[in-house]
Amino acid sequence: MNDPSPPVKRPGFFSIFSFFFGISAITIGGGYVMVPVIQRALEKRGWLPEDEFYDLFATAQSVPGPLALNTAMFAGRRVAGLPGFLAAFLGILLPPFAAILLLAALLGAIGDWPVVQGFLDGAFAVVPGLTAALAFNMIRKRRWTPLRAVLTVASAVAITLAGTWAVPTFFAVVAVSAFAERKGAC
Amino acid sequence: MLRLALVFLKIGVAAYGGGWTIVGIIRTEIVGRAWMSAEEFAKLVAMAQITPGPVALNAATLVGYRLHGLLGAAVSTLAVVAAPVALSLLIGGFFAKATKSGARLTEALKTGTIGLIAMTVWAFAPAAVSSWLNVAIALTAFAVSAFTRINPLWIIIGSGVIGAATRAFFG
Repeated sequence: MNDPSPPVKRPGFFSIFSFFFGISAITIGGGYVMVPVIQRALEKRGWLPEDEFYDLFATAQSVPGPLALNTAMFAGRRVAGLPGFLAAFLGILLPPFAAILLLAALLGAIGDWPVVQGFLDGAFAVVPGLTAALAFNMIRKRRWTPLRAVLTVASAVAITLAGTWAVPTFFAVVAVSAFAERKGAC
Repeated sequence: MLRLALVFLKIGVAAYGGGWTIVGIIRTEIVGRAWMSAEEFAKLVAMAQITPGPVALNAATLVGYRLHGLLGAAVSTLAVVAAPVALSLLIGGFFAKATKSGARLTEALKTGTIGLIAMTVWAFAPAAVSSWLNVAIALTAFAVSAFTRINPLWIIIGSGVIGAATRAFFG
């Protein structure tokens, strides 16, 4: 398992670009759907073994930004350096950008049809459920201590009340909890 | 336009926790500034969901497009990824060395991220109780995505079809 696998011939800019372009163009459903798809495809090509991928994935989560994009950029850089990084960035970004503009133009034409309105209302109705499930999973998977629980509840209340100050409040919360974790109080 | 770019830069910096958290921050910033109504934003989120690609990026692109056309779409998309891309390039390797301080930072970020997702849930929850049908759909979506590994896309499309049918038959 642990033999230093000789790096296969490094793929070039365009093969990495078209690799991520293809994935981004056909995968609907955001980061949690895209990340496993990217992982399997990378492994199949022999570009990146699974365990290394999940190391990269953990790193990608420590940087802000869409999960699928960050993971792809880290994987691209790991596979082919800076050109790979750029290729992954463009490959992930371009298809949805083009698709969104097409869809927006299309909806400009048919957006007032009752059936289309109904479809969009229905598609939106799942959002409260999906976001609540996401919160539920984060809460369930975390290792809890009393102090973490108190800080997290305070964080939720403060950020929800903060309105357009949510972003600064988020960083204040992170700073306070980093300090609390450092104290070893929890 | 400059304000649009600045707002999305700011959103990008705090974009922890994946797509839906980011959508929540975008909503707070855009609806909170009255650049768009809550209903308009809901339509936009529905579109972002059914388009390929990361939902947060799609939402950012759509908001830019709706407010300032094609150029706005380009500006908001690039602004929202600017900070992530820069950070990935500069300090990605630094974080990778998972030291003790790295683990502390991860925990602190979790505390903040759960706060952000709570804000998102709070913002979208009223939509779930606007009708009995929506209550049922929201509960189904929650159960499926919390307890099964089914791709949520099927729920989204199914719910969209139900919505379209309801509108077609009952007006």
